[in-house]
Amino acid sequence: MNLYFNQISAIVWKDFVTELKTRELFSSMFIFALLVILIFIFSINLSIVKASEVGPGVLWVAFLFAGTIGLNRSFMLEKENGCLTGLMLVPADRTAIYFGKLISNFIFLLIMEFFILPLFMIFFNVDLLAHIGSLATVVLLGTLGFCALGTLLSSLSSNLKTREIMLPILLYPLLIPIVIGVVRMTGQILEGIPLSDMMKWIGLTASFDIIYIGVSIMTIDHILEE
Amino acid sequence: MESHENALEVRHLRKAFGVIKAVDGIDLELKQGEFLTIFGPNGAGKTTLIKILSGLTKPTSGTAKVAGFDVSEGNPEMRKEIGVISHSTCLYADLTPLENLMFLAKMHGLEEPQDRSLKAIDEVGLSQRRNDRVRTFSRGMLQRLSIARAILHDPKILFLDEPFTGLDLHASNVLKEHLKKLHDRHRTILMTTHDISCGLEMCNKVALQVKGKFAFLESIEDVDRDQFEIMYFDAVRNNQFVMGIGTRG
Repeated sequence: MNLYFNQISAIVWKDFVTELKTRELFSSMFIFALLVILIFIFSINLSIVKASEVGPGVLWVAFLFAGTIGLNRSFMLEKENGCLTGLMLVPADRTAIYFGKLISNFIFLLIMEFFILPLFMIFFNVDLLAHIGSLATVVLLGTLGFCALGTLLSSLSSNLKTREIMLPILLYPLLIPIVIGVVRMTGQILEGIPLSDMMKWIGLTASFDIIYIGVSIMTIDHILEE
Repeated sequence: MESHENALEVRHLRKAFGVIKAVDGIDLELKQGEFLTIFGPNGAGKTTLIKILSGLTKPTSGTAKVAGFDVSEGNPEMRKEIGVISHSTCLYADLTPLENLMFLAKMHGLEEPQDRSLKAIDEVGLSQRRNDRVRTFSRGMLQRLSIARAILHDPKILFLDEPFTGLDLHASNVLKEHLKKLHDRHRTILMTTHDISCGLEMCNKVALQVKGKFAFLESIEDVDRDQFEIMYFDAVRNNQFVMGIGTRG
């Protein structure tokens, strides 16, 4: 069991060392998310619509689109020079490989979101600091679900020539329950509704997080198999 | 491992991709410490055979036992016993040799990963470049690092898929020396190559694989080198006609 966790942490360590050297993943995700928010901010008249109504959708579109770039990049690194084959040759359970990649993706995405949220607060003129605890919970739940499913599907699509196209086509429809949950909850948080009044949405999002992780554990062996 | 007489046992192994039979009924036994070189034209199924034996792909039918483990079961314990050098280097281009090998050592659960990695890098003569990114390495250096990667965990069985491809004379000699050392240490080696002199020089068993089957499998003592060369070049020529790139009328 100790080896299992060491293998997961080794994958996370390797991804972090690579990212610290290249800065490719963070910079591409951050710039893309920022561009999405800027495009929306110029196309929405905030004197007509409330920020709490349109803001959550914009925020999560930025997170998910930027996150998709990150997921594609993450598994492309494994395909380069046949590194995924190398990973398949080590005495590791395939789920350790999945969890290692999941944790890396999750942390990278959280870092990007940490930098995007203050900019969103400024551009949409909303006070997120007053609800930071509730917002953090929602962001963690949403990001976990996105990464759980995204890591599985990016490992699947990494073997395809059209992986950049296939990943969003496979990912977004399956993410709908989570996206609905987190967008609703973010909107309610911006309106000052406490998290305790959103247990239905929290339950929905958390359930899908668990389902996606469970499905990934059951299928990753077959997906990574050539 | 010591309890199994045969390092490798293959029975009626088949692998088909649709109608194409990449491996078509191969039988093979290798004892611990034996060195088998497999020759064969492109598309003969040599790489597929190595992929099956290393557990990267499952056979369509037949059985293969490596170090006593059935390859179809995908037992991680089997992967502790094997080292693989394939066409790809399996190295992270933005990491240094030391970081690459330390990562691998951690994945193998080896004690003192840094010391083991430094020793392996030293063995392949890359100590001076241990902190440079792999991306900056030549083909020969990459291949040497691939050897270090494959032997880091001191496997009992090595699968080498055309390891001499793209190497200059010096790098080729370095690789040969390493393979000889490993063979002297009683490691079982299965190598595919197109380099007849290299392949015959080091092995104690020779096979010729054509269209997924072993057309020839003998001990090196029973091989007439000239006749084998004729047989090999005939197989390559015939294969070119099959593939539509032959030049003979």
